[in-house]
Amino acid sequence: MLEIKQLEFAYTTEAAPTMQFNLSVAAGEILSLIGPSGSGKSTLLNLVAGFLAPSAGQILLDGIAIETSSVASRPVSIVFQQHNLFPHLDLYTNVALGVDPSLRLSHEQVDTVAAALDQLGLSDLQRRKPGELSGGQRQRVALARALVRKRRILLLDEAFAALGPALRAELIEVVKKLVRDNNMAALLVSHQPRDALLASARTAFICAGKITALEQTGDLLDHSQLVEVRDYLGLV
Amino acid sequence: MARLNTRAITAGLVLAVLALIVLAPMAGLLNLSGIPGYEPGDLRFWQSSYIRRVLFFSLWQALLSMLCSVLPAILVARAFASQADFPLRGLLLRLFALPLVVPAVVAVMGVVSVYGSGGWISLGRSLYGLNGILLAHVFFNLPLAVRLLLPQWQTIPPHHWQLGEQLGMNAWQRWRFLEWPALREALPGVMLLVFMLCLTSFAVVLTLGGGPKSTTLEVAIYQSLRFDFDPAKAVVLALLQLSICTLVAIVTLRLQRLPEVEIALGSVSKPVAVRQKWLNTLLILAAGVFVAMPLLSLLIDALGGPLWQVIGTTRLWQSLVTTLFIGLFAALFSVAAGWFLLQYSASLSLAGKTSKAQLIDLAGSIVYVVPPLVIGSGLFVLLSPHFDVFAWVYPIVIAINAVMGLPFVIRSLGPALRQNHARYHYLCQSLALQGWNRFRYLEWPLLRQPLGLAAALVAALAMGDLGVIALFGTPHSATLPLLIYQQLGAYMIPQATVTALLLLVLSLTVFWGLERVIGGKTDA
Repeated sequence: MLEIKQLEFAYTTEAAPTMQFNLSVAAGEILSLIGPSGSGKSTLLNLVAGFLAPSAGQILLDGIAIETSSVASRPVSIVFQQHNLFPHLDLYTNVALGVDPSLRLSHEQVDTVAAALDQLGLSDLQRRKPGELSGGQRQRVALARALVRKRRILLLDEAFAALGPALRAELIEVVKKLVRDNNMAALLVSHQPRDALLASARTAFICAGKITALEQTGDLLDHSQLVEVRDYLGLV
Repeated sequence: MARLNTRAITAGLVLAVLALIVLAPMAGLLNLSGIPGYEPGDLRFWQSSYIRRVLFFSLWQALLSMLCSVLPAILVARAFASQADFPLRGLLLRLFALPLVVPAVVAVMGVVSVYGSGGWISLGRSLYGLNGILLAHVFFNLPLAVRLLLPQWQTIPPHHWQLGEQLGMNAWQRWRFLEWPALREALPGVMLLVFMLCLTSFAVVLTLGGGPKSTTLEVAIYQSLRFDFDPAKAVVLALLQLSICTLVAIVTLRLQRLPEVEIALGSVSKPVAVRQKWLNTLLILAAGVFVAMPLLSLLIDALGGPLWQVIGTTRLWQSLVTTLFIGLFAALFSVAAGWFLLQYSASLSLAGKTSKAQLIDLAGSIVYVVPPLVIGSGLFVLLSPHFDVFAWVYPIVIAINAVMGLPFVIRSLGPALRQNHARYHYLCQSLALQGWNRFRYLEWPLLRQPLGLAAALVAALAMGDLGVIALFGTPHSATLPLLIYQQLGAYMIPQATVTALLLLVLSLTVFWGLERVIGGKTDA
């Protein structure tokens, strides 16, 4: 479904090497991306989202190239670690913005927002401001917005990094259901190998701007012979 | 504990002196209402049409000046925030810092040079009055508002711009959901600050207004003391001025979200359409031309004027030395007083007594509420029956200007000093690093930059003061601003222009000199 082919990018301000990515993600799959800081994980997400423009290569969704589409028109939703919500708007409005930024919603769209809030267990909180919520609840709101946007690609950039282990596990289950039910392709960037284990059947290891391993998550984390992976996992 | 006590004693002394300089004159003013010869019945000015007219004009010109400064400043700040790659960005932002340093009377001369008879954009006689006052106030406050509002765009998290882009927000929606919420936090504070500055503006109104139709409370106080010799009227006007300023200050404190004096003005990355880019460029250039024009015109007029004749006069050099003397001593006393107050408030803060610490800072900023001319007129009525106040001009003018500069010291030095104290106080205690050694090895290297900025700001402010010196100064003790005013009064416009240029050069030299000599290169 999502294919990234020979996608290249280099930061012009640093003497950094050209990054190059190749991978594919099936519909309903969450592919985890792990690797050391600065290896290029978030850069890859920014390229897919359109915040950065690649110097070469392709991003295909169901065979159609999207790498030249504008950010707004890409079939992508992203959830960051923080600052996903506008602090002065209540939950309902934060989610409704995902349907139409003018906030002129039809009855059907209002129902969609209500259903998304209900699905994420937020119905009772919809008039609260983000400041009145816990970290986990805030990320649920961001996921509810991703749900109403109905985009095929979901990007999670350290989305659960600020949460405790139990809450992370709970939200990963929410994301898995969301991705499965809506037939999305998701990329999950995390610093926690356990997140990858919980979320993904397959995990890619990124090092110095390249995907150096793409294996079954269990195999990668437990049996990889690659020095970089073992070094990253603290096994060397 | 002993250190805290020493700090408490020094801060207490500073506060006592502050109270003496600020509160004693006010007590004097209040007391005057009851002295023989000034029975309450005599204070019929309360009901007079003169008071009503002065009051109305004071508020009206302050309101208009505030609107004309802040509304365009929002557009210009937004344009600056969008145009991170604008080639003249740094230069223009430095230009926008100039009105903080340029003495009011110099700006007035610049405005006259551009908009006066024979100027580039001549408004003729209509310059004098509300038009001229507005132009000069906007010259000062538009750049100030831009510099205060611009950091608000930096408070918007980069992820919000990205989300806005992903959600397909158009320019209006970005303004509504991203920019306006960030801006509205600071906007009331900035508007009230500009309103207050325009309400208490003296030199501008004295030189460009001042007639019966365009007199403000501040100028009316001066006129009632210096020309009408009527302290009772000055008392009424001063109390009126004090009440309004207190009211504005209370509202400002309630909305207190004013950025610090000097914040690094970086840029944010956000999507800008090509048409918007052109509009931004146009806005920035128009604002730049508006601010640069008076200074440029003044420079051209002064260089083509009787430069050598003015430089050859002894009076100019006497005034220059007096100006420098007042500026440097006011800076010295202000920074010293601010240092002791802030040291104590930082200790209190670290001990968890944050309300007390805030109270100390607030006490240091009391002159926000009490305009210098109110202090001056209070001192005038308090001291003049006992001795010749004109003979004590220097200590009085230095003291009032030092007090006037204290809020600037607290705002520019306070955050760095508090941070320094919080980070290193316990380390210093464990190393027994205190007193001179603590200052030499820790505080001076880390704080010399904000110290330099504070001293430079106060010196520039004191050197440009026309209010207090106009009240107490004599032809022999004139500073450069007073000399310019006297030259203007004698219709010696070309000479006044040259003197204004010299004052501008002196102010900028002292500002940059102090900032460089004291500030040096920080180790922080």
